[in-house]
Amino acid sequence: MPVSGFVDRLLQLPPYGLSREEKEAALAPAVREELTYHYEHCTAYRRWCEKQQFDPRSGVTDLAAVPFLPVNVFKRLSLSSVPEDQIVRVVTSSATSSQIPSRVTLDQTTRTRQVRALAALLTYLLGGARRPFLLLDAAPTTAADGRELSARVAGIRGYLIAATRQEYVLKSEDDRLELDLPRFRRLAAEWTKAGEPFCLLGYTAILYQNVVAPLWTSKERIALPPATKILHFGGWKRLREQAVDKKTLNDRTAEVFGIPPSAVCDIYGFTEQLGVIYPDDAQGLKRAPTYAEVFVRDPRTLEVLPDGQVGLLEFVCPLPHGYPGVALLLDDLGRVVAREPGPDGMTGTGFEIVGRAERAEIRGCGDTLPQRVYEPATAKRD
Amino acid sequence: MKIHLLFDREGPRIGQHDPPEAGPLLDSLEPLVQSLRSGRETLQRTAADDLLGLCDAAAAAWTRSDHPLAEMIRRLGLGFLPLWMRKNNLSALCARSLRGDYHCLDRFVQLAHDDPQWYRAQPRGLAVHWVAGNVPVVGLLSFLPSFLCKNANILKAPHESAGLLPRLLQGFADVCFTNSQGETITGRVLTDATAVLYFDRNDLEAARALSLGADVRVAWGGREAVEAVMNFPRRFGTEDLIFGPKLSLAIVGRERLGDVESARRDALAVARDTAAFDQQGCNSPHTVFVERGGAVMPTDFARFLAEALQSVTRQSPLQTVDPASAMNVLGVRAEYDIRGEAFYAPGMDYTVVYAEEDRGLAEPCYLRTLFVRPVDDVFDVVPFCSRDTQTAGLAVDERRRDLADALTAHGVERCPAVGGMRLYDAPWDGMFPMERLVRWVTTY
Repeated sequence: MPVSGFVDRLLQLPPYGLSREEKEAALAPAVREELTYHYEHCTAYRRWCEKQQFDPRSGVTDLAAVPFLPVNVFKRLSLSSVPEDQIVRVVTSSATSSQIPSRVTLDQTTRTRQVRALAALLTYLLGGARRPFLLLDAAPTTAADGRELSARVAGIRGYLIAATRQEYVLKSEDDRLELDLPRFRRLAAEWTKAGEPFCLLGYTAILYQNVVAPLWTSKERIALPPATKILHFGGWKRLREQAVDKKTLNDRTAEVFGIPPSAVCDIYGFTEQLGVIYPDDAQGLKRAPTYAEVFVRDPRTLEVLPDGQVGLLEFVCPLPHGYPGVALLLDDLGRVVAREPGPDGMTGTGFEIVGRAERAEIRGCGDTLPQRVYEPATAKRD
Repeated sequence: MKIHLLFDREGPRIGQHDPPEAGPLLDSLEPLVQSLRSGRETLQRTAADDLLGLCDAAAAAWTRSDHPLAEMIRRLGLGFLPLWMRKNNLSALCARSLRGDYHCLDRFVQLAHDDPQWYRAQPRGLAVHWVAGNVPVVGLLSFLPSFLCKNANILKAPHESAGLLPRLLQGFADVCFTNSQGETITGRVLTDATAVLYFDRNDLEAARALSLGADVRVAWGGREAVEAVMNFPRRFGTEDLIFGPKLSLAIVGRERLGDVESARRDALAVARDTAAFDQQGCNSPHTVFVERGGAVMPTDFARFLAEALQSVTRQSPLQTVDPASAMNVLGVRAEYDIRGEAFYAPGMDYTVVYAEEDRGLAEPCYLRTLFVRPVDDVFDVVPFCSRDTQTAGLAVDERRRDLADALTAHGVERCPAVGGMRLYDAPWDGMFPMERLVRWVTTY
């Protein structure tokens, strides 16, 4: 395993609480170190850097000046910075906005870093103690391939480092997920009686569609202890389609479980930089922790936009070691809304997600479906 | 039913950059339709030559640097539009489309010397044009022929750029033309018989009402949009002109790659075709096939294309950049930077990519993105074409007729020279549209 001094040192720092200067002083050399590694070990990445006239060995002082790869490059090409025999897991994205999933190759170094970062962030989020987790999903029926793991399964599993035990409370029938209400009630009652604060964890859409909405509609209520945390992640696309916003989700979840809306925490993260998560702060903003920085770029010029303006989100994070995913431009739209610490003392660039870059719905007469483009013609020249 | 009026005989009802909802709501379509039919009666009495003269006068006015539309036309890359509207072009288009003599729009004419029958092209009545979302100006390309055929017209504007068509139509209201008899024809002959409307695409009641009022339905747009129009109810006898989704390409033969100057000239022509309509027209090239064997290699041609696009972009900047398309193009750039060659602007203004092993048609990315693909022989392109191919722009010399024959036999609709891809002419999509905008009648 390569020595990664600056990244290791970065991960020894707390996720929040550093001043901007302290964070930059720790993050920039770690980013440079990791970029140099990819430059020297991933031929494709090096070729790309050369096209950008960028050599990380010359120094990285301004993170915004680091060339960024669009995240969809991992759908187009297989990019790996480690030999095949060092790949311990391949994670695929959920492919929500296209038919092709993103594939990233994890080596042991990446996994270790991800666990360390996530542990630090969850410790901050949950107050230090591990807790039992009720998982808002169906238990996997077949063992996942040792190396291939869907982002949904990987997403849940990652959080379980903060779990003292875990129980699935949904069941899958005819490919439909359904809340196993008796089991949910029984486990919640047992754990409440034990006096141990616990967590509910699941995908945002599943939390609402399969748990909260049915209970709220049927006026069923399940009282959970006030210290319960409900963590959800995975994006808002499906709920936005149903005109369900964050306030609706939080209010209804709070009503159904008898907890304050502030106990419901939306967590942002993405497959290509697993390990770093962006939970809501007290104001509902995401905060870039010590281990990452966020920039907002103008889709037309690709320049960094002034705070407050909406553009494409870019994340710079030195954790990825198995693949060159250090500086990535996402198709999520957002804006920076705070530079100063929040009322709860959470530091880091404060930003919000405003949606996903969707292709304009109506196209001109030049629009056609890809399958038609690729439809092979058979006739030949006479 | 919520129908907003954006333009009528009183002029534009919204500003160019206003949302269409700013236009006044119509209680009913009927009074408007009656007014348009009344306006059409004047149109019916006006000679085709005078209508052509009016278009010519508007075109001449719009190209004057001090005209209010000149700057907009330059900025939107619509320089072809006033050229297309000149009398020489439109009269040739009319003659080609109407059996050789467009005076059949005014009176009965003989189409052949020994033919005992006399023919006349009567207007169909009211033409309704559903205009493509991202290419609103194409509405003019069916509207003007329909006007020349003396139909009343309603254009259903898209939400995006809803103010553009009213602004252009107002450009007709302000012009006049004096014919050889000294009679003056004003733009009112056009504006009195024309309206622009907007309603939400989910407003099916409005869409059905408009469809049922139409004698001709013209639809430009993507698959979903044109299929929706085709599925609205219509009266028996209503004619449909559907300009649906198609794609275009360009082909450069080795004989045009003998020297750098010639190659650069063709590259500039392709770049201009690409920049028109921001590459969203069905006649916009996306893939450029370059034949191997010339002194200029396909990869060099790709570089020339990028340089040409840079130059064209200075004159007519890219209009709209949606973030999803930008991400798609960025992915293409990264891919080709790694596995091929990519030439692009610092921002999203243009992109040209090339890889030696690529073949076939590329999936369009828009934002002035061209995929250059090598072929051993220009005829190797033929199997990649189908009925979904609108235009194959050719930079080919002696072989061009044979190549056009093979391409069109395989579904391609037109094979103009590169540089002429963006020009709307007739036939289009396999038909002479004007012929469908009239009723052919006979006497002896």
